[in-house]
Amino acid sequence: MRKHSVKSAAIVGAALLVLAACGSNKNESSGNNGGSCDTSKGTLTVGVVAPLSGNLSALGIGIKQSAELAVDEANKKCTVKGYKLTVSAQDDEANPAKGAQAATKLSTDPNVIGVVGTLNSSVAQTVQPILRDKKIPQVSPANTNPTLTRGNDFLTAPKRQFDNYFRVCTTDDLQGPYAANYLVEKAGKKKIAIITDGKTYGEGLAAELSKQVAKKGGTIVGSEKVGEKDTDFSGVISKIKALAPEAVYYGGEYPVAGPLSKQMASAGLNVPLMGGDGIFDGKFIELGGKEGDLATSVGAPTESLATAKAFVDAYKAKFGKEDYAAYGAFSYDAANAIIGALAATLNGGDWAEGKREDMLTNVGKYSGSGATGEVKFDQYGDSTNKVLTVYQVTSGKWKDVQTGTFSG
Amino acid sequence: MSVLLQQLANGVVQGALIALIALGYTMVYGIIQLINFAHGEVFMVSSYGGLATFTLLPDDLKKSPAVALPLMFLGGIVIAVIVAVIMERFAYRPLRNAPRLAPLITALGVSVFLQEAVRVWYPNATSNLPYPKVFPEGSLSLGPINVPWTGVLLVVLSVGLSVILQTYINQSRMGRAMRATAQDPDTAKLMGVNPDRVIVLTFIIGAALAGVAGVMFGGYLNNINIDMGFQNGIFAFTAAVLGGVGSIRGAVIGAFIIGLIKTLAGQYMPGGTQYDYVWIFVVLILVLVFRPQGLFGEPERVRA
Amino acid sequence: MSTSTVSTPSVSSSAEQRSTLAPLGKPFAAVGGVLGIVAALLPWVTFALKDGNWPDKSTLQFFDAPFSLTGFRWHVLLLGVFILVAAFAPVPSKGRVVRALGWGLAVVSFINGAYITVKGGGLGAITAIDGDFAFGSIVGLVGGVLAILAGYGIGIAPVGVWKTKVSTPVAYLVLLVSFAAVLYAVAAMLTTGGVGSSNPYAGAIFLSFLGFAGGVLAALSGVGYVRWISALSEQHRVFSVIVLLVCALALPFTDAGNEYWMTVAANIGIYAATAIGLNIVVGLAGLLDLGYVAFMGIGAVMAANFSGAAAANFGITLPFPVAAVVSAVVAGIFGAIVGSPTLRVRGDYLAIVTLAFGEIFTRSAQNNIGGLTNGSNAIPGIPPLSLFGAEFNKSFSIGAVKLPAGVLYYVLIVLLVAAVMTVFANLKFSRIGRAWIAIREDEDAARAMGIRTGKVKILAFLIGATLAGLAGAVFAHKNGTVSYESFKFLESVTLLAAVILGGMGSIPGAVLGAALLFVLPEKLRDFEDYRLMIFGLALILIMRFRPVGLIPDAHRRAEMIERADENAEEAHVEAKKA
Repeated sequence: MRKHSVKSAAIVGAALLVLAACGSNKNESSGNNGGSCDTSKGTLTVGVVAPLSGNLSALGIGIKQSAELAVDEANKKCTVKGYKLTVSAQDDEANPAKGAQAATKLSTDPNVIGVVGTLNSSVAQTVQPILRDKKIPQVSPANTNPTLTRGNDFLTAPKRQFDNYFRVCTTDDLQGPYAANYLVEKAGKKKIAIITDGKTYGEGLAAELSKQVAKKGGTIVGSEKVGEKDTDFSGVISKIKALAPEAVYYGGEYPVAGPLSKQMASAGLNVPLMGGDGIFDGKFIELGGKEGDLATSVGAPTESLATAKAFVDAYKAKFGKEDYAAYGAFSYDAANAIIGALAATLNGGDWAEGKREDMLTNVGKYSGSGATGEVKFDQYGDSTNKVLTVYQVTSGKWKDVQTGTFSG
Repeated sequence: MSVLLQQLANGVVQGALIALIALGYTMVYGIIQLINFAHGEVFMVSSYGGLATFTLLPDDLKKSPAVALPLMFLGGIVIAVIVAVIMERFAYRPLRNAPRLAPLITALGVSVFLQEAVRVWYPNATSNLPYPKVFPEGSLSLGPINVPWTGVLLVVLSVGLSVILQTYINQSRMGRAMRATAQDPDTAKLMGVNPDRVIVLTFIIGAALAGVAGVMFGGYLNNINIDMGFQNGIFAFTAAVLGGVGSIRGAVIGAFIIGLIKTLAGQYMPGGTQYDYVWIFVVLILVLVFRPQGLFGEPERVRA
Repeated sequence: MSTSTVSTPSVSSSAEQRSTLAPLGKPFAAVGGVLGIVAALLPWVTFALKDGNWPDKSTLQFFDAPFSLTGFRWHVLLLGVFILVAAFAPVPSKGRVVRALGWGLAVVSFINGAYITVKGGGLGAITAIDGDFAFGSIVGLVGGVLAILAGYGIGIAPVGVWKTKVSTPVAYLVLLVSFAAVLYAVAAMLTTGGVGSSNPYAGAIFLSFLGFAGGVLAALSGVGYVRWISALSEQHRVFSVIVLLVCALALPFTDAGNEYWMTVAANIGIYAATAIGLNIVVGLAGLLDLGYVAFMGIGAVMAANFSGAAAANFGITLPFPVAAVVSAVVAGIFGAIVGSPTLRVRGDYLAIVTLAFGEIFTRSAQNNIGGLTNGSNAIPGIPPLSLFGAEFNKSFSIGAVKLPAGVLYYVLIVLLVAAVMTVFANLKFSRIGRAWIAIREDEDAARAMGIRTGKVKILAFLIGATLAGLAGAVFAHKNGTVSYESFKFLESVTLLAAVILGGMGSIPGAVLGAALLFVLPEKLRDFEDYRLMIFGLALILIMRFRPVGLIPDAHRRAEMIERADENAEEAHVEAKKA
C-alpha cells in the first residue's frame, strides 16, 4: 500500500511536471490602456484624505468619489498633457492620528501633486503641517473652521497659517452671521435659541451667529448641546420651549437636525429651525424637517448653475446613485482646482519635484467655475465665493428665498 | 412648574423605552451572570429589522397602518430573536465555563460586530434613517404637558409587557425553571430542568422585548441610527444595575429613574443637557460603589 | 478552564484522522511538496487583469528563467521544497513541521487564488479560459491540503526539545542571527506590497507574505527552534534585550526606513506602550478596563497645555521631559481615582465603572471642561519635539547616511516602549506582580493569604494609567494636535483587542497585538470598510478558540491549558487557523 502510494505520487508529480513543461510560454501582455489621450509621461496622483470607514464614511466616500469623477473627466479631456491622473484615497477614520499617517503616506509618494481633504477640521490640523513640509497643496472641501486659514485671531488679525492650504467651502464667520442677519432683520425673529452638536462645525457656526444676533439687536435666549448620536431630544426641547424662542438655530448636520425639527413640532414648539449647509440636504426633510425650516448654503441656488447640474448628472452616470453627500460638489471643485493648477504648472512640460513651488502658486491663482459656483482663493487660501443663499422648506422641498453676500 | 411636569413626562417615556431593554439585561444576568453587552445592539438590529419589513411590504399594505404596524413589530421581534439565539449558541454557550472575563470580551466583540454589520450591509445605514409614518400621529395634551401618542403607547407597552413577564416568571412552569436555574443551576439540572433550554428561552424573551422597544423607538422618534444600541444599551444596563440585576421589578423602576435623571439633570443641573449623560454615569458609579446589589437586588453571591 | 469543554470533540476527531491517515503520511507529504514546487512553476492567471498584471509574472507565464522566481512564487517553491525536506530528512516532530508548512502553502495558494478569482471576475481566471490555462493556485492549494493531512498522518508529536546548554559565544551568535532574521522579516513585512497606493494588489501580496512567514514560523516552532531560542534568550537575558533593542533601532536603516513607515511604526509604538500599561490592569491584575484610553487622553491634554502651543491653556511652557512626567503623574492620579471603586466593586461591574469613566472623559473633553481641552476646536499646533538642536519632525543624518523624517520620534518611542517593557517585566516578577496574579486567580484566596487586595488593585490602575499618560504626552507632540476624538470608546476597544490578541499578561504579546492592529488596516485597504467588523469578529473568535492569545504568557498558558492535553491545545491552534 505504502510503496504503491509513493509510486503513484511520483507518477502524478512527473506527469504534472511534463504538463507544465509543454505549455505555451506566453509573455505577459500589457493590460494598460489610457484611452485616447497621450499618457506617455506616466501617472500623477491626486490624494484624498477623508473618513472612508466608520460613522462619517458616507460623507467621506462622497468626497472620494467626487474627486474620482473630476480626475476621470480630466483624463478623458486630456487636461494634463502627457500624464494619466489617478486618485489615491486614504482613510483617516476621522481620527487626527490616522489622518497624519494618511498624509505622510501621500507625502512620501513623489507622484502626489495635491490632496483633496479633509472632512474634519481636527484632522486637517494634523495634515496641514505634514503636507506643508513637502509643499503639497491641500484643498479642503469641508473644513469650515476659520482658524485653519487665518489663525486664532481670524477676525481682528488674520494671518495666513499654511501656504499650501486652501478650501473651496465657506467659513463659519460668514455663514453664521449671514443667517443671523436673515433671522433678525428679514424674518423678524428677535429671540433665538441655539442648539449645537458639540462638533467643530456646529460650534463655530453657532458662535459666529450669536455675535451677529447680538449686534443686530436680537437676543440669544438659551443655548443647549445635544450629542451627535442622540435621537431623543425631548429633554432639550422642553427646556428650550420654556424660554419661548421665536426661532431655533441648530449648529450641526441633518441627521440630528431633521428629527430635532420633527420632535420640536410634536412637542408643541412650532417655530422654524435654521441651520447651515450641513442641514441643507434632501435627507433633512425626509428625516422630519418641517415646513418653514431654514438653511444657509454656499453659492447661488443650484438650478441657476449649469455646472452644478452637470456635476450631479455626471456623478449619477458614473456611480449610479446620487450619494455624493454634503461635500461631493465641493470635493469635485477642489479636485478640479488641483488639476487645473497642475495643467497650468506643467504647461505641456514634465513634472519635477522643483515644480512644487509653482504648483502652490498656481492653486492660489486658480480660477474656474465649478459645481458650487466660482472657485477662487483669497490671500489666506479661503474661497472667494462668498455668495450665500437662504433656503426654506416649502411644500416638502428646499426653495431659495434670498441670495446675497455677507456685508456686516 | 409646567417645565417640570413636561420634563417628568419626557422622563417617563424615556424610562419606558429603557425598561424594555433593561429587562433583557437583567434576565440574562440573573440566569448566567453575563453582562450581555451586545443586548443594546440586538435592540438596534430589531429596529432595522422593523424598517426592513416595512420596506419589503407591497405598496398597498404600506398605506394601512393596521396591517403594516403589526408586521413591523413581528419583523423586528423575529430578527432580534434570531440574532440573540445565534449569539447565545455560537458566542456565549461555548464559554459558559470559561473565566468571567472571556464572555464579557466576547460580548464586546459581538456588539462591535453587529453594529458594523448593520452599517456595512444595511442600505444607507451610515446615516440616520427615517422611520415610516404608520404610527399614530399627534399628541396627548394634558394641561401644560404634551406627549406624542407614540410615547403614550410606548409607556403602555412597556408597563404591560413587564407585568406579563413578571407574572409568567412567577407562575408558569418555565418561569419556575428559570428561577431555579438562576438560583442554582446544578440542582435545577438534577431536578430535570434543561439549563440550555432555559437559557435560550431567556435570551429569546429578552430579544423579543428589545424587538418591541426597537420598533417603538423608531415610531416615537421617527429616525434610527446604528449608535442607538450602544447608548440606550448603557442606559438600560445602568437601569438594571440600579434596580438590582436579576430583578424584573427593579429593572423597570430603575429604568424610570434613569429616564427622569436624564431629563431632570438636563434641565436643572449645572452644565445642562451637555452633561446629562455624565450624571447617569455618576449615578451608575455611585450605585455600584455603595449599593452594588441595587435597590431591589439581593447581595451579590460570591462565585468562584 | 474553558479548554476542556471546548476541545473534547476536536481531540477525538484528530485521533481518528491519525488512525486512517497514518500509512499515507509520507506519500502525502511527498506529493504535497512536489505539487508545491509544480505550482510555483505553473502560471497562475489566465489573462491580464483589469488593474494590471498579477505580480511576479504569473500571468500565463511558466517558470522559464531559472533563479528568477520572485515574490509569492518563490515562497510557494520554497514551501514545496521545505515540505519534501521535512518529510524525508530526520527532523524532530516531523508531523508538526509538515503540517505547518502545508498550512503555509495552502494559505498562500488560497489567498492568491481567491484574490485573482475576485479581481478576474470568475473561476476562469485561475483555471482555463479561451484555451489558456493556469492552475497554479489550485495545484498549490491541493498540495498544501495534502501536506496538512500528511502532517496528521505522520502524527503530531510533542514539540522537539533541543539541548539548551550551549557555550556562551555560540548562544550569542545564534541569538544575534535569529533577531537579525526577525528584523529582516519585519522590514520585509512592512515594505511588501509597496508603500502607498502604487500597487493595486498590495493587500494580496501582504497576506500571501504573511501566510508564508506564518507557515515557516510555525514550522520552526514545531521543530523546537522557537522554544530553544526563547530558552537561550532567557539564559542570556541582558544580551538579548540589548540585541533586540539594537535591532529595533536598526529598522530605519532597512527598506522600511522611510518617512511613512517611521510614522506608522511610531504610532504603533505609542499604542504598544499604552497597551502594555493596559496589560498590567487587564492581563496581570485581571481587572477589565473599558475606558483606558481616557488616561492617554488626560496625558495628551496635559502635555498639550504645557507645550507652548498657541492654543494651550496654561500660561507656562515646560520642557518636554518635565511636561511628560507631569502628564504621567496627573493621569496616574486619575487612574487611582478610577481604580478606587475596586475596593468595593468586582469583575463585570468594575468593567462598567471604567466604561462609565471613559464616557465621562469624552463628554467632558468635548464640552471643554474647565477650559482645558478647547472642546471641539482641539489643541492644534503643538510644536514638534526638539532635543539638542535636532527637530524631531525633520530628517536627520548620521555622517553620510540620511535618515528619513520622523526617525527621531521612532527612536524616542522605541526607547519609551523599552522602558515600559522593563517596568512591566520587573513588576511582573516582583511581589506586587505576584499579588496581582493572585488576585486575578482568586481574590478571596489572595486576601486570605494576607495580600492587601484593595491597595494592590489601585496600584495596578495607578501604574497602568501613568504609563498611558506618558504615552499620551508623546502622542500629543508626535501628532501636533490633541482632540477628544482620538480618545473615544472604540479606541479603548482597539487597545483591549491588541492586548487580547497578543496574549493577556504577555509583554511581547501586547507589542505584537498593537503592531498587527495598526499594520493590518494599513495593508488591507481592500477590507477598509470591514475593519471594525473584523475587530469584533476577532475578539469573539480569539475568546472562543485561543483565549491565551498569539504569544501566551507562560503562566497564563499553564493556567488556561492545564487540564487539556497537548493535543487539545493543538486543536485550538488548528481551529484558529481554519
